[in-house]
Amino acid sequence: MLKIENLTATVGEAEEAKQIINGLTLEVPAGEVHAIMGPNGAGKSTLSYVLTGRSGYEVTGGSVTLNGEDILSMEPEERAAKGMFLSFQYPVEIPGVPVMTFVRTAMNSQRKLRGEDEISAPDFIKKSREIAKQLKLDAEMLKRPVNVGFSGGEKKRLEIYQMMMLEPNFLILDETDSGLDIDALKTVAEGVNAMRSPERGMLVITHYQRLLDYIKPDKVHVLSAGRIIKTGGADLAHRLEAEGYEGVVGEAV
Amino acid sequence: MDCCGGTDEHEDDCTEVTVKEGIDAKTVEAAKALESENYSAGFSTAIDMEFSPKGLSEDTIRFISAKKEEPEWLLDWRLAAYRRWLTMEEPTWAKVRYEPIDYQAYYYYAAPKSGAKYESIDDVPKEILETYEKLGIPLREAEVLLGVEGAAETAAAAREAPRVAVDAVFDSVSVATTFRKELEKAGVIFMSISEAVREHPELVKKYLGTVVPQSDNFFATLNSAVFSDGTFVYVPKGVRCPMELSTYFRMNAENTGQFERTLIVCDEGAYVSYLEGCTAPMRDENQLHAAVVELVALDDAEIKYSTVQNWWPGDEDGKGGIYNFVTKRGDCRGARSKISWTQVETGSAVTWKYPSCILRGDDSVGEFYSIAVTNGRQQADTGTKMIHLGKRTKSRIISKGISAGKSDNTYRGLVSINKRAEKARNFTQCDSLLIGGRCGAHTVPYVENRRADAQLEHEATTTKLSEDQLFYARQRGLGEEQAVALLVNGFVREVLQELPMEFAVEAQKLLEVSLEGSVG
Amino acid sequence: MSTALRDLIANPNAAELELIARYGMLPEDARRERAFEAFAKGGLPHRRVEGWHWSDFKASLPVIETPAQPGTAQDPLPADDAVLFSFTPTGFTWAESLPEGIRVLAKPEAQAFGASEDMPLGALAAALAGGKTKPGTLMIEVTGQDLPRLHFRFSGAGEANFARVQIIVRPGAKLAVSESYLGGAGFTASLMEFSLQAGAECSRTVYQRTGKAEVLAATAAVQLDEGADYRQTTLAFGGKLTRLETRLTHQETGAKATLNAAYLCADGHHADITTEVRHGAPSCVTRQLTKGAVLDGGRGVYQGKFFVPRNVGQKTDADMQHNALLLEEGAEVFAKPELEIYADNVECAHGNTSGALDANQMFYMRQRGIAEEEARALLTEAFIAEALEEAGELEDVLRVQARAWLAR
Repeated sequence: MLKIENLTATVGEAEEAKQIINGLTLEVPAGEVHAIMGPNGAGKSTLSYVLTGRSGYEVTGGSVTLNGEDILSMEPEERAAKGMFLSFQYPVEIPGVPVMTFVRTAMNSQRKLRGEDEISAPDFIKKSREIAKQLKLDAEMLKRPVNVGFSGGEKKRLEIYQMMMLEPNFLILDETDSGLDIDALKTVAEGVNAMRSPERGMLVITHYQRLLDYIKPDKVHVLSAGRIIKTGGADLAHRLEAEGYEGVVGEAV
Repeated sequence: MDCCGGTDEHEDDCTEVTVKEGIDAKTVEAAKALESENYSAGFSTAIDMEFSPKGLSEDTIRFISAKKEEPEWLLDWRLAAYRRWLTMEEPTWAKVRYEPIDYQAYYYYAAPKSGAKYESIDDVPKEILETYEKLGIPLREAEVLLGVEGAAETAAAAREAPRVAVDAVFDSVSVATTFRKELEKAGVIFMSISEAVREHPELVKKYLGTVVPQSDNFFATLNSAVFSDGTFVYVPKGVRCPMELSTYFRMNAENTGQFERTLIVCDEGAYVSYLEGCTAPMRDENQLHAAVVELVALDDAEIKYSTVQNWWPGDEDGKGGIYNFVTKRGDCRGARSKISWTQVETGSAVTWKYPSCILRGDDSVGEFYSIAVTNGRQQADTGTKMIHLGKRTKSRIISKGISAGKSDNTYRGLVSINKRAEKARNFTQCDSLLIGGRCGAHTVPYVENRRADAQLEHEATTTKLSEDQLFYARQRGLGEEQAVALLVNGFVREVLQELPMEFAVEAQKLLEVSLEGSVG
Repeated sequence: MSTALRDLIANPNAAELELIARYGMLPEDARRERAFEAFAKGGLPHRRVEGWHWSDFKASLPVIETPAQPGTAQDPLPADDAVLFSFTPTGFTWAESLPEGIRVLAKPEAQAFGASEDMPLGALAAALAGGKTKPGTLMIEVTGQDLPRLHFRFSGAGEANFARVQIIVRPGAKLAVSESYLGGAGFTASLMEFSLQAGAECSRTVYQRTGKAEVLAATAAVQLDEGADYRQTTLAFGGKLTRLETRLTHQETGAKATLNAAYLCADGHHADITTEVRHGAPSCVTRQLTKGAVLDGGRGVYQGKFFVPRNVGQKTDADMQHNALLLEEGAEVFAKPELEIYADNVECAHGNTSGALDANQMFYMRQRGIAEEEARALLTEAFIAEALEEAGELEDVLRVQARAWLAR
């Protein structure tokens, strides 16, 4: 599914560019959930932006393929149409654009790029209602501008709503647990778990092990200074929690 | 203190009073009840002066140039400026009102009689050294360095620890430049501009008038014709100036205009921090100050220029005070160069001043941090221009205006993004504070954007001192003026932080003094 | 033309000579004379006059002539249920049957115009409105509440179109006014005066869309009495040079004004939105939001000023925001948000931004699969639409126009 090989990337422009990703190699097969854990500044968020094509993040070496296709040469929306979905650590506010309009435009744009027909208005509304109910989202919220005036928890739930609406085949969750209380965390995790399927891969980026109690990973990778320095099973997350990054990172070096 | 506003004959009395004040704290308190006496720098010094003929003519200019033993090219340069000036009109667009200036009523050159040049600090008349001491300027470097008795009291407390090289300008003549030798070792040239014309003519010729051309504006052109003295600084390639450089300007003689000219050049990769302070005695008539400051920063160079301006603002009825019409401009000529202006403006009757940056070099940075306080009948029209020409140039403007009494305080600024200034950035914040209902606070920003990839942000607020905050502070036991000073300090904090340490303390005190009598 | 008339303006250009000639042909009238003199003092304002630096009428209007391709924009503002007043270069028509609560007087002579010195082009409109086929002053008195909207249309090919309208909204009355400036004339100058008496309400919508060759100066002078509520929404597309200027005075306590505007400038279009609000009475509120989007070769100008006089301006609450998008390189946006404040118990703020669309918003939308162009259009429309939200029943019409321009 997602294959990252010897990836290097920089952040910033021209002379101010800094190398953040330093030869990262990782493979997430279809049907698996992999977690990436690492201390602050390890390059976790950078990785999520490099994978989704944000400008200002330049790939200087290596490759990334999704189902064998090179995605690094694609525009952000083309990657989205191929099924890449990033749940943002800090979802962006878009004044003046209601959630429903936004998601419907996104859905139809993706379909268009894939050569599919647009979704009909009744089908869209029906689908939206079902998912909103599942996530305990107020219908009124979906009429408001995207993320404007939403609490931290509401923003994260809205990310999951969009994920379920758009049905991507590869998910990247960037610090999805940050700013969530335990109830919100459970709701969000239920949504994510409902998305697990043999065709779908997931990369869960997190600083703490807490989220992984609710979204059980198949593998845990430790990211440090832009490289994967250790890979293990779900138990590795608990070790990190118990021993701290320093212990585990120190051991690997 | 009345004698101090008068003529020079009373200098003995004047000294006496000053000494008494130093002894008797109660006298000081009593004196402070009178608003105009808040100006502690308002004494004059009695020394024999030599003047140019009164008024302005080609002869005056020849006189000045001859006195300074200037080369032919500089005299020609002055005369060209003078002829140009005759064709120009005084600008009227600023929000300041004042009686028409009679340019023939001023002396354009005034120098202590014992001679315009001093070979060593020992040749400087005692009276002048005493004047600077009263102002708290550590002119006698040895005293400050060795901590000789008395030096600690006279030098501003905060200025003792860090070493500051000082060039002091007394009316038209630079009287002393300290730390010369040590600076020379580092390759830094720091001397009066008159000396620089003699000793480094090639440098002066190369840079003079290249940032503020002769024809720039009415006051700058006048300055080009009659500039008397000022400071020249050259920091060579890769040198970080080992100490802060400083000039103190003092207007002493009556009916004298001061027209200093400062030129600071930072060669590639060099750095300098420069402090400028100004005072003048209390006079009933208005005195004219029309200075020009030119800064040039080459590739990777940085110039930090800080001003504390405390010219005599006139009395509470608006009588007397300095007309401060100054042209200050920095040219970020080189790539990645940086020029930062910080000013604390508390003095002058009328201020007309826009320290600006021309951001020519790619990735160059311009900054302007300003506190302008007006009280009594003061009028200030001040701000900055940030002209973005190079790619990825950045500028930042933080302006804090405080109006009290019957004063008017205007921020006037221009941010201009040229078509070639790819990805330029500007952030501007202008806040105004009104104290009392008889003053005015105005904000006039001009923002010209010609680049789609530029990012410009401007925020401004105008508010009064919060009654709630004042009450809160007073409930906890602060006196009203103390509470005002505290809140004002909070209001200007962002800018004070930009000042070099030795200036920050002085600036803070100056703010308190300037705002005395503004409440109640 | 007599030399005396010709000498009214120093160094006149051909357009100014034509204006003098037109003035000479109108019947003598002391008020008209005063208005014309106020204009003639400086002639057509130019770049060296403060307030006109970025919008130079003297340079943009060398001659007054019918445009080779006059603007033929359809009026998108519906007039079916409104009372329509139509001004063309040569004539004036209106539906003479009026509902109760509206009284109209078409006076041949000029009326006094107090602030003429500050509004030279408003003074010009006051001086040159009138003639054989048009009223010198169209006076409208409003006393009712549930009244049809009054719609003023300025259109039709020709050299010049001048109009002056005075509207008095009596205490407690409610009125909706709309204006469409559709071009056609080489030069259009209008002066609209609104006087809202105690507790009166008025909403005004201005739509401007002319061809590339037209020059327009639409000036409004608004006075608010105690507790009056005035809401203005403008949508402007610019022309060779168009200036929509509003001078509003809060003259009694507790008045409220909302002044919103959006401008959209394509290549060769210059739109100027200028406002000055005088807080001449305590406890008045002003809210102002101006949004602009400009393409390569277009120029947007925004000048806003709050003036708060000593004593009377206490407890002023005023906020001014201007946000502009330069959608392409080659676009220009010039802004001057100004505060002049002489009262200490006030809350005044202004903000000004200009630049490109927010990069975070763009990336967020594209990550969800929305193509770059579509994301840009969506964000721009949302950005502009905020300034149209106070337009009441006309909001949708304006929004459709803005959307169509963005999708072009």
